Amino acid sequence: MKKILLLLVLAFSFSGCEKDDICDASTPTTPRLVIECYDNANATLTLKNLTSLKAIATGMGTEAVAFNPSLPITDPSRYLYTGSKLYLPLRTDATTTQYALTLNSGVAGSENTDIITINYAHHEVYVSRACGFKTLFDLDPTTPIVQTEPATPDGAWIQNITVIKPNLESENEVHVQIRF
Amino acid sequence: MKSMYKYAFSLLLVLGSFLGHAQTTKSKDSIGTAVATASTVKKDSVKPKTERYGLRLGIDAFKLSRTFFEKEYRGLELVGDFKLTRKHYIAAELGNENKTVQDDHLNFTTKGTYLKAGFDYNMYENWLGMHNMLYVGMRYGISSFSQTLNSYTVYNAHPYFGEAAVTPEGTKYEGLSAQWIEVVAGIKAEVLNNLYVGFSFRINNIISNKVPDNFDNLYIPGFGRTYGGNVGAGFNYTISYFLPLYKSTIKPKEKKKN
Repeated sequence: MKKILLLLVLAFSFSGCEKDDICDASTPTTPRLVIECYDNANATLTLKNLTSLKAIATGMGTEAVAFNPSLPITDPSRYLYTGSKLYLPLRTDATTTQYALTLNSGVAGSENTDIITINYAHHEVYVSRACGFKTLFDLDPTTPIVQTEPATPDGAWIQNITVIKPNLESENEVHVQIRF
Repeated sequence: MKSMYKYAFSLLLVLGSFLGHAQTTKSKDSIGTAVATASTVKKDSVKPKTERYGLRLGIDAFKLSRTFFEKEYRGLELVGDFKLTRKHYIAAELGNENKTVQDDHLNFTTKGTYLKAGFDYNMYENWLGMHNMLYVGMRYGISSFSQTLNSYTVYNAHPYFGEAAVTPEGTKYEGLSAQWIEVVAGIKAEVLNNLYVGFSFRINNIISNKVPDNFDNLYIPGFGRTYGGNVGAGFNYTISYFLPLYKSTIKPKEKKKN
């Protein structure tokens, strides 16, 4: 009888243990728009690196997307992206997000800005208790991305935009290809 | 985590106080039994064993106290068992729970009613005149409930736009249900004539769970939280009253003595 009681108490004390409920980083949550960049000069698909790209969304003033969040806020490199795969966050409370993408940002004379407007629908999907909900996006089937010039036109650097996966589900996929 | 300690501690306290009860009862009873046995021995060398049969009805004091002390919880559980044979009891719990859970990313309220039915098997060999129980048993639980998602946050690993994190909602998901199996182990001790206190520890396993579209049953009335996997644990502390309906003895001749 005493043994059983002891077992009960033990079993009971263990039932009080609880794992920490932190949203695991590997869990797919709200995805960003994944853009892969290719060389326009090459007929076959060849990845091409963007150089010092700065992305500022309309309405965010001068606050650019932090591509290197580990760098200090004062470091301009924090906001510059070099590479062929660009991740852009989309607004989860609107159906349009507009970005000014400046290539060679900070390099006098070779800066070039293109404006892209991304049109989409969004819906919220339950993930888990630890992560809550995530927002998934569906790019507009007729005009998913519109490319325009800034107020002082400097010519387009993006030559071609192709949507290859209109429904954004995770960041482990490429949604848009651009050529430049 | 802090609340978990509090929870565990208060339970141990309850448990401890109960043990105190059980012991005093036992010693009191054993003296009584010893006297009874002695007087019986004089007249008859065969020990007559009287078995009382009847219905025991009670309430879960643990849920009741949580209702008073926890702001976000309201619960009531009625318990009952009927003695079928010397060792077997038909047992059931009928309850209602209303619980609001505030998590980092979610706030929801679960409301519903549940019924658990099954049997208990008394493993305790009572001395003459004692009616205590050390039992194991099983239950089949069914619950019918609704979930209301009060508010939630959209998880964004890369915050750039300063969007409102919390979305007030109010979506109610109705017509949800779940079924599960419970393994019970517990004690019931007669502290006063026909008045019992007891506790039971339960391990339960979900069999079926009807979840809403785009949400989950994170809490099921009667079952508890579900986010620890399909297996859960439960506890109740009952105060119950035994209504004797009939008696039977192994030697019918001894009946008049009682």
